[in-house]
Amino acid sequence: MSRFLIGRLGASLVSLFGASLVAFLILRLSPGDPARLFLGPFAGREAVDALRVELGLDGSLASQYLLYIANFLRGDWGFSYSTGQPVATLIARRFPATLELGLFAFLLAFVAAVALALVAAYRRGPTDAGARAVSFFAMGVPPFWFGLVLLLVFFEALGWLPGPDGRLSLRTIPPPAVTGFVTVDALLAGDGAAFRDALAHLILPGVTLALMPFSFLFRLLRANLIDIAREPFITVARSRGLTRWWAFVRHALPNAFLPTLTASGLLFGQLLAGSVLVERVFVWPGVGALVTDGVLKQDFSVVQAFILLSAVIYVLCNLAVDLIAGLIDPRVAGAAR
Amino acid sequence: MSEAGSIAAGARPRSRSRAVLASLRRNAGFGLALVLTVVLLLLAIAGPSLWHLGPLDMDFGAPLAAPSFAHPMGTDSNGRDVFARFLAGARISLAVGAAVVVTGLIVGGGIGIAAGIGGRVLDTVLMRIVDALAAFPPLILAMAITVGLGVGLTTAAFGIMLSCVPFFARLMRADILRIRALPFIEASVAVGVGRWRIVGRHLLPHTAPTMLVQCASVFGYAILTLAGLGFIGLGAQIPEPEWGAMITDGLQYALTGQWWLALFPGFGVLAAVVAANLLADHAQAVLGVRGRER
Repeated sequence: MSRFLIGRLGASLVSLFGASLVAFLILRLSPGDPARLFLGPFAGREAVDALRVELGLDGSLASQYLLYIANFLRGDWGFSYSTGQPVATLIARRFPATLELGLFAFLLAFVAAVALALVAAYRRGPTDAGARAVSFFAMGVPPFWFGLVLLLVFFEALGWLPGPDGRLSLRTIPPPAVTGFVTVDALLAGDGAAFRDALAHLILPGVTLALMPFSFLFRLLRANLIDIAREPFITVARSRGLTRWWAFVRHALPNAFLPTLTASGLLFGQLLAGSVLVERVFVWPGVGALVTDGVLKQDFSVVQAFILLSAVIYVLCNLAVDLIAGLIDPRVAGAAR
Repeated sequence: MSEAGSIAAGARPRSRSRAVLASLRRNAGFGLALVLTVVLLLLAIAGPSLWHLGPLDMDFGAPLAAPSFAHPMGTDSNGRDVFARFLAGARISLAVGAAVVVTGLIVGGGIGIAAGIGGRVLDTVLMRIVDALAAFPPLILAMAITVGLGVGLTTAAFGIMLSCVPFFARLMRADILRIRALPFIEASVAVGVGRWRIVGRHLLPHTAPTMLVQCASVFGYAILTLAGLGFIGLGAQIPEPEWGAMITDGLQYALTGQWWLALFPGFGVLAAVVAANLLADHAQAVLGVRGRER
């Protein structure tokens, strides 16, 4: 187990080192002098040169890389050219909104995928075909576009759910921030109205963001369930008098979960990428919207910090699920050696 | 019971065309994919020359006009015909999808082959590079490259291509290693077949099914990601008639009543990506391919 742990940790560190090199090279490739961009077109030559020295831009490529990594690890992610605020502060302030939406979407995706895969693999036939059609739709639809369609239907036409105005309606007084999750904060404050409002605001962006992980989890789980249902141990369970449904739920499902767990790490890490596509449609005040705003305002310092940050989160998510899989199933840890 | 039997007997294919129909009914998804593919190809290849309006032609008399016979998908804020832009967008998306698949297959497949048949050192070095690329969520890597090289359709396509290199490389390497271990390769070596001849005649042809499935899947990924980058503002720029950029352009009008700007391009993306994924799925089942990335 410890060998497995060290091996996985080492592999993650190597990936992160490579990713940081890629991110650094992209940063160097970017047109424009960061010092000039920060000081603006009217700053004097001396001022720009002084800032270049201060930012370490006059050193060799290797020393610049080391400085880049050191700054990233210290949380010094540069300044946003458009607002002048530290990028780390901007991202930290918006992270809870993205995390709340991401967790909600993942929960939706997971519950829907398990339920649908179970029914599809159990019934097969038209039920299965219908469920697969849904998954193909979820995989092929551009999320930002689907979010817009949902808004047109459920906000504009039916008026059932709130429109694109962020996490709460303007009329709702935000609950005092404790966790940064509006739904949880509202519950802690005992404010039922605010909780309902926050939940209503989560539904459409949550469903939109859930499409991609849902389709992956569903396909994986359904295929696994169908394979496992043919295993001898299911026949044994049935011969002991278990109903087919109970054999499915009690014996096939737990065994079909492990590959799903590994995929979950990838999918959860990708939610950050999805948030970039989805948040803008719903004016969700999260990191994804911060990045799209940065692109629109040509404020790439925010985008560059986000790129490396997302690689770090992605690799860590994968590492976490690999380790959990190793804990649950000793075969994983054994095979990895 | 007898009724059901007669229906079953009636459905039994007696001629070739009936057999095709029956197999299509069993593979409704594949049939749908074929129809979508043919329609999209026709629209992309012939559409722009048949439709009388160009994607950039402006009609200042009719900005934001609702769908009508003159403008089946309405017009945008500058009076450009959305249908003409949809057709041009189909051409862009399919062309970028094809370019990404071909270059991704060559670069990623090349890396996979080199890693699979080369020595241990080469394998390790190449796979660490692939790991570095795969350490980013694919969309973010494509984003990063577009930010680094400058915003635009070409750089977006390049970014998407690089982001799918890990899919091809890992799959190709795994497939080469799998085939290399088969007895017939050992037999070829034993009878003295040359190294490159084994690679060219025995290894590569056997990777074709896996790669074919992967190509179809990446084709859909490329079109979806291109639209995503266009939507964020990193890909094609308005007035370029790219589907994702068109959706962004229509976003501000969507909830004020002019829904057609953003709605129609989305159907294009949906149709193309669903068709690609259905084809990948069908090919995977028919060819008996085990895994694919994405």
